Amino acid sequence: MEELQFDVTVIGAGPAGLAASLTADKAGAKTLLIERETRPGGILKQCIHDGFGLVRFGEKLSGPEYAARFIDRLPNSDVTVWTLSFVSAIQREQDDSILTVITREGIRRIRTHALIFATGCRERTSRQIGVHGRHCAGVFTAGTAQYYTNILGELPTKRCVILGSGDIGLIMARRLTLEGAQVVGVYEAKPTPSGLTRNVSQCLWDFEIPLHTSKTVTRVFGDARLTAVEIASVDPCMCPIAGTEEIIPCDALILSVGLIPENELAESIGVPLDSKTKGAVVDERNETLLRGVFACGNALHVNDLVDYVSESGEIAGAAAASKEKKCRGLVPVECDQSLLYIVPQRISRNAEMQERVFFFRSAKDMDNAMLTITKGGNLLFSKRFSHLRPPEMERLPVLLTPEQLFGNEPLRFHLEELDHE
Amino acid sequence: MSYCKRINQTLFARFGGRVTAREQDRVLYLEGELDRWDDVVAAGLLAVNHKKYDGLVNDIRFTGGEIPPMRLPKVTDTVLDGAAPDVLVIGGGIVGCAIARECAKYDVRILLVEKEHDIAMQTTSRNDGMVHPGVDLIPGQVKRHYNRRGNRMYDEICKQLDVPFRRSGQYICFRGKKLAFAAFFGQLYYKLIGPRVTYLRKKAFFQREPNMNPAISAALFFPDAGVVSPYGLAIAYAENAADNGVQVSLDTAVLNMTVSEGVITSVRTNRGTIYPKVVINAAGVFAEEIAKLAQDRFFSIHPRKGTNTILDHKASKRMHTIVSSFGTSSTKKRHTKGGGLVKTIDDNTLVGPDAVETYQKEDFTTAPENVAFVFDAQRKTDTALNIRDAITYFSGVRAATYEEDFVIRKGKWTKNIVHAAGIQSPGLTAAPAIAVDVSRMAAELLSKSRIVRSNESFNPIRTGVIRASELDLPARDALIRENPDYGEIVCRCEEISRGEIKDALHRSIPCDTIDGVKRRVRPGMGRCQGGFCGPLVLQIIAEETGKELQQIDKSAPGGELLMGAIKEVMP
Amino acid sequence: MNDNGNTNQAKEIICIVCPNGCRISCTKAADGIHCSGQKCKRGEAYATAELTHPMRTLTTSVRTIFPDSPVVSVRTAGEIDKSKLMDVSKALGKVLVKTRIHTGDVVAENICGTGVNVICTSDRLMHQQ
Repeated sequence: MEELQFDVTVIGAGPAGLAASLTADKAGAKTLLIERETRPGGILKQCIHDGFGLVRFGEKLSGPEYAARFIDRLPNSDVTVWTLSFVSAIQREQDDSILTVITREGIRRIRTHALIFATGCRERTSRQIGVHGRHCAGVFTAGTAQYYTNILGELPTKRCVILGSGDIGLIMARRLTLEGAQVVGVYEAKPTPSGLTRNVSQCLWDFEIPLHTSKTVTRVFGDARLTAVEIASVDPCMCPIAGTEEIIPCDALILSVGLIPENELAESIGVPLDSKTKGAVVDERNETLLRGVFACGNALHVNDLVDYVSESGEIAGAAAASKEKKCRGLVPVECDQSLLYIVPQRISRNAEMQERVFFFRSAKDMDNAMLTITKGGNLLFSKRFSHLRPPEMERLPVLLTPEQLFGNEPLRFHLEELDHE
Repeated sequence: MSYCKRINQTLFARFGGRVTAREQDRVLYLEGELDRWDDVVAAGLLAVNHKKYDGLVNDIRFTGGEIPPMRLPKVTDTVLDGAAPDVLVIGGGIVGCAIARECAKYDVRILLVEKEHDIAMQTTSRNDGMVHPGVDLIPGQVKRHYNRRGNRMYDEICKQLDVPFRRSGQYICFRGKKLAFAAFFGQLYYKLIGPRVTYLRKKAFFQREPNMNPAISAALFFPDAGVVSPYGLAIAYAENAADNGVQVSLDTAVLNMTVSEGVITSVRTNRGTIYPKVVINAAGVFAEEIAKLAQDRFFSIHPRKGTNTILDHKASKRMHTIVSSFGTSSTKKRHTKGGGLVKTIDDNTLVGPDAVETYQKEDFTTAPENVAFVFDAQRKTDTALNIRDAITYFSGVRAATYEEDFVIRKGKWTKNIVHAAGIQSPGLTAAPAIAVDVSRMAAELLSKSRIVRSNESFNPIRTGVIRASELDLPARDALIRENPDYGEIVCRCEEISRGEIKDALHRSIPCDTIDGVKRRVRPGMGRCQGGFCGPLVLQIIAEETGKELQQIDKSAPGGELLMGAIKEVMP
Repeated sequence: MNDNGNTNQAKEIICIVCPNGCRISCTKAADGIHCSGQKCKRGEAYATAELTHPMRTLTTSVRTIFPDSPVVSVRTAGEIDKSKLMDVSKALGKVLVKTRIHTGDVVAENICGTGVNVICTSDRLMHQQ
């Protein structure tokens, strides 16, 4: 079997992979972009709502329009694009990666110097959150419902309950309503919504769709097709409270209960993952702890804005294309329980004084919070935030000097709510 | 004092005057009224005596709830009207399919009817896929006899039918010094009466299964245990039967029979009336109803539900085969051989099952408490067992008789019926052997009216759908170059190609649903549970069958996934 | 928390202009609407409009004659009156795309008399499968 060689190979042609491959190509690397679907664009192809690109382009684009900003650059680049191609296995040889790629033309072997995982994420399923009852038709994840509606033009429901207030669930509540389906309500087990506040406003309030917090779906009913769901209130530990059950007739349950980074391939070659993000542990160049292996986008951590996904891809693409190989000298970056997570989880101490960009989420809703970064007891940085919500990721640029990063103690992130003045 | 009188005294002591027993023609009948289902079952288990009677019929009326009627197919037509097969097999589970295929070795016309939309929809596809060595079966039991014979047939039958089978063995683990001692004597018992066994000391066990509970002090290893896909094998049997001329009619339920002078003369279904010479009752949980229609009811089925959980491939790397602990609910009771932790043929770990008596024969719902119960029990085997690794869970209902044994015999009163009833665990293991005997009994009944020869053109070999990802790379590459569809991956979790999905739709047993494809070639069996591939499989089914997207069902008619095109359903 | 209404009390409006989702507190007074809490001018404009004549962009899709792309995504080229969202969505049910159009191509002009065109937002039809 022939073996093809590339400097940089990117797995996944969603927003992260597109940005990564274009950036690597621009930096002069011989780049391959592998996509398992028919067309590049990833999940953006089905996100026909607008609001993409405000940070990056200052415009409110739809998903396909945002993706087109990158896809349209491919023909003028030297990126080799393989669609309908699937990476089935990866082996490591020193710092190179050898990929087995299944395509309609046959099996191909790729030797690549740098490998970028831009494999996105998948949706949590009803089974993973403990929805019981019968396995009938009519239980969909929001993304699948979105595919049926926006790609196939077919409605999966005429009257549904949406469980979970993640952004896709909110977007689908509006979308289905606009197509004439009835959304009985959006139910969220947590006491606060999981999606962006603006989506709660423009997707639910605009259409008078009720949002019920601290409630969950416990069972589904139906034979061949779903006919009703059982809703129950939950206690602060998210356990259903007996006696609060109510039955809601409907033909579908649509779930927006979280996204999980897709890292099965990365794990197969031993890329260490962060248990908080479920993505790889990376440095500020988005390089994982395996040399020459990078991760970006939603495979790294689940983002709420595509603009940051593209940025993450560009960081990985630029780093993967760079030929320089030096000692990494990584300082661990840690956070306590006041943060859900922090990315990157390592930064290099060798670099010149430069701006490092961190992404984090607070563990709970906070008004007037102070973020501090310390190292070995020394305060390196602090910043006040008027509002922090777990669903809304913060991008935090910090200027750090090599002196500040001297020594092996980890960088610690901490959030504290200040008293209101 | 007669047994019947004694049992009436016992029943009186337990239930007051609400339940009585009477005997007639070597059958013990229970009558009366009870409002708790557990009591109905308890009365049956109290009264049963397999030595004195051919069977126990439990006619105690249950007043505490409504027993749901059998779910019937939606279709009504006359396509089978007037059919006159030599052999009518009722039930398309593993037993019915295996019988149909074995019957095809004779020169007889065979019709298999199944009320569901696909083969193997109920008990057969809702178990742990274990091929049992027969650890806890008791000499004298019918099921022990068939289990031993069936087990020995597996290598050959799976080879003939091109079904993956792995004889990976089973460990039964013991904790503490006392139990280790007991295990040592246990092996001597098995060495005397079978099955084959090896005694493993702690160190030897942990060399083989290093991730199990460190408190395990010894294990017995039964090398004859194996794993198979139960529905995969049933479908393979049915396909091979169809290839050999068996007519398979799905969505076909038996509604009534006419019996005159001890002979079934006609069988009414929702698709017409059939005039079979011999009827085979392989109707699973509904075998008692079929026996009643045939005026040959001498046993009762008390359904027993079990729930299993399937773990992600990643979490399934902790063990290599079937591991259970002595003293867990699943091995203690003699009527559930439950595997404990079973590494399935598809390399998922399966956790379960439990055993709950129920009056609902088709209750396939799951409930959190059952899953939690099973996890708690199986943590004795693997303390790290985590419910977060679950990708799905499912329930099945066992067709247990009060004798807790199989009923494999010709009719008691009716002359042209053969029962393959009361099949619960180890029914999957036993099915190949049951089929051989039942087909022979059917041939014997037929030979009273005609000469039954063997079918010279019978072809025992079936070729399954290619599993492209299991080929070595050059072979897979060659396959793709021949047909590019094998190079287009549709299900990424299980790495299933478009070619395999198309193959599944064009087999000798038709399949046109998402779940039908899933059970044949596994798209949607993985961790995303069809989130990504479901819509793609739907489109392939539409392309291949010429149906509209909206007509395609998840599993059965009435289970359409889509409700109408957008912009056309606006009010 | 409904953002419609006509009281003189302070109303909180969640700005949907950008992902910040500012909570803007608005009070109606004789000299107009006073806003606080917004991080930028667009927020103030949004909040004012929200209290007087709320506007939205509609994104949806329309049917095509092409089996490889049975629908194509569209949006209003500008904002339309919020109360007209359902009407416009229904009106687009009558549109059937018969040519392989590009992003930006107009699929309906002056939809429902709003003065706004509806444009295609995807090049999906350009990639024949």
